Amino acid sequence: MSLAIANTSRTYAVTQATSRTTALAVVRLVACVTAFVLGLQMSVASAAGSGPADPMAAKAVRDLYYGEALFQFYQDKHFDALTHLLVARSTGRVQNHETESELLLGGLYLNYGQHVRAEEIFNRLLTADVSPSVRDRAWFYLGKVRYQRGLNEDALTAFARISGELPASLSAELPMLKAQSLMALERFDEAATLLDNWKGPDGWLPYARYNLGVAFIRLNRLSDGARQLDRVGRSSPRSEELLDLRDKANLALGYAYLQQSLDGQARPVLARVRLASPFANKALLGVGWADAAAHNYRAALTPWLELKQRDLVDSAVQESMLAVPYAYAQLNAHGSAAEGYQAALVSFDSEIGQLDKAIQSAENGDLTRALLVRDDPGIGRWYWELEQLPDSTAARYLYPLIANNRFQEGLRNVRDLDALDGHLQEWRDKLAAFDDVVATRRKAYGQREPVIRESLDKVNLPALQARRDAVAARLAEIEAQRDIAGLGTDEELDRSRRLTAIGNDPGLKAADAGDLNDRYRLLKGVQLWNLDRDYKYRLWAQKRALHELDGLLAEATRRQADTNAVRRDMPANLDTFSRRIADVVPRIEGMQQVIARVRGQQEGQLHAMAVETLHEQRERLAAYRVQAQFALATIYDRAATAARTASTVRHEPEDSTAAPTLQPRSVSGTDP
Amino acid sequence: MANNLTQFHLISGVLFITGILSTFPARADEVAPAAASVDGEVQVLKDEVLDLNRELFLLEEELLFPANTQVAVFVSMDVGDFFDLDSVQIRIDDKPVSNYLYTDREVAALLRGGVHRIYLGNLKTGEHELTAVFTGEGPHTRDYRRGATLKIEKGIGAKFVELRISDRESKQQPEFLVKEWE
Repeated sequence: MSLAIANTSRTYAVTQATSRTTALAVVRLVACVTAFVLGLQMSVASAAGSGPADPMAAKAVRDLYYGEALFQFYQDKHFDALTHLLVARSTGRVQNHETESELLLGGLYLNYGQHVRAEEIFNRLLTADVSPSVRDRAWFYLGKVRYQRGLNEDALTAFARISGELPASLSAELPMLKAQSLMALERFDEAATLLDNWKGPDGWLPYARYNLGVAFIRLNRLSDGARQLDRVGRSSPRSEELLDLRDKANLALGYAYLQQSLDGQARPVLARVRLASPFANKALLGVGWADAAAHNYRAALTPWLELKQRDLVDSAVQESMLAVPYAYAQLNAHGSAAEGYQAALVSFDSEIGQLDKAIQSAENGDLTRALLVRDDPGIGRWYWELEQLPDSTAARYLYPLIANNRFQEGLRNVRDLDALDGHLQEWRDKLAAFDDVVATRRKAYGQREPVIRESLDKVNLPALQARRDAVAARLAEIEAQRDIAGLGTDEELDRSRRLTAIGNDPGLKAADAGDLNDRYRLLKGVQLWNLDRDYKYRLWAQKRALHELDGLLAEATRRQADTNAVRRDMPANLDTFSRRIADVVPRIEGMQQVIARVRGQQEGQLHAMAVETLHEQRERLAAYRVQAQFALATIYDRAATAARTASTVRHEPEDSTAAPTLQPRSVSGTDP
Repeated sequence: MANNLTQFHLISGVLFITGILSTFPARADEVAPAAASVDGEVQVLKDEVLDLNRELFLLEEELLFPANTQVAVFVSMDVGDFFDLDSVQIRIDDKPVSNYLYTDREVAALLRGGVHRIYLGNLKTGEHELTAVFTGEGPHTRDYRRGATLKIEKGIGAKFVELRISDRESKQQPEFLVKEWE
């Protein structure tokens, strides 16, 4: 829906109640544009070749901890991603993704505003032996770092070194960065040529076109600026931010035309602004002025009367309070004009009263508290924007300020500092728990150590080893002599002893021994046969058992050594942990003190900006008030003159339009 | 009245042209000097906190999960056409150690190649049994519950286990793999 203003009275869909919503839309558009200017919105994942534009990444994770950093990153938990990646790299857990993790780290640093660290990484990558695609990405990011640091010539030099194809998301960002760098160097014509010749998807280019158009208009090159702004103004984007940008482009172009008194060209451009747009109020005002400039005051009244019903906080609405009676006066409806000016005075006085209260509130420092009261305190995001605007009287006057980039940056700093402070406080709580863990371990060690020492003292590993060695020697001797009886069972050995005793019995050799001798020989032969038959197996079994014993002895020796090492090192390790914890606590406390100081400075700047803005608004309203008073006085003066003339020429008919009879209305705090 | 019109036009011009044309910073470095100094301090603080955070993470891990007893279990996904992950339950030696319910955002991060460390704990050296139960929506939007078991030998170094959910195209079914990493 556009601002198709007809000369008939119509009901507009937008009501005053939406002003907070539209203000938030402006805040978001500015946040979007800020992100665009800073190059924050683009996928950093592409730095590691792992963004959505690079499908190979999802299957290429070869180190779990690299994937773990990506898991945090893909959820916009950038602080966690950065921390996890730093830990993983310092512990050697991402060795299979050395280059990718370094690129990702550089990208994360860049987006976290750590330009020096980011630049170090990209420079290091460019001197290393890396693939052309990594080199191109490093040049891209190096250029981006330089652009963000305002080194625009150097940025363009880096961009020029890109020789191959970049991942899609970076490729879309590149012309925008080049154009912004050129504009920063005031090489506007080159920027225009770059944008005009760009054949790829638009992406964020409308923002670059907008900025270029504005730059041309600032240089009084209206036709060049109009070409860029008109292109944005006629686009058909799908996202709400780009629709808002389109409205803003049309508004900027429309007012540029109005400034050059090209009122006929201004009107259709301003009429393209959507009625539900955050920029609708200013567009309505401009359309009215375009009509007024063509002396079509009746037409001008339609947008202005609509505008007059809206929230008086908006400067366009404030101006409509003067514009409406002005149009009535031009139409010789002096009575309505006088009423309009009187109403304007009442409204301005009321608003000035509200502003005085708002100034007092801002001076008390309530603003940042109110703005951040609903904020998610999580530390993870650095592309941050306000989710909700407060609905207080003071905040209503500050919507334009809140949408201001400088204010947003400052507010983001306050928010980040709060998040950092909260994060450090969490660590302090954890460290207290760590201290308890160390104390508990120390106590447990004190209790267990004597018991462990006693049980270890009972274990004589060298004696066990000696016994094992004796067994091994005996086995070697048996094998060398093929002593088959040496591997016999207890039963067999007992039987052998008995057979030997029988063999030595003289009765065996007696004449009446009968077949006893044969039976003895048979039994002895069976015994030898059995021992010989089982010898090889028994030898192998004994060797295997000895081998297992060796393993068990080695394990026991290792465990004893480990236990002794733990017993020996535990007190020193616990002392080291205690020292590390004790060392870090004052560092955290020191940081929290610095955070509190910087936060106070930043908040003070924000409050000063707020108070200054409110004073500006108050001064503007005071100026409007003077204009209303002057206009009203002029009307009264004319009416008085007309009345005098009428009393002199009693016989002539009264001119109702030229000289209405007006009675000055008493206006609070107003001199007629 | 002509003067008035000019005056109003002037107001419009000053208010709106200035306002409109100055809202978006043309350059990233267009910030006031005072703001820049605070901003610089904020950046230094962020850097210091990052360094400290890394140290504290290492301290926490070394103290609570020393390498000789550390075991970490990770969940990863590949494609995921046949399985919409809802939750994963981990049991070690028949004791539940983790029961994690995934958000859509987390599942999206897994599908893009992220790996979630679902469990970090301590185990004695020796043999242990790890069981993972995956719950979600399988093919034909039916509820799906599948378990996978792995015997793990915990040595003196840290033990990492990856639970991987992938698609088995031939059977049009999800597949759950368990892999040990050293």
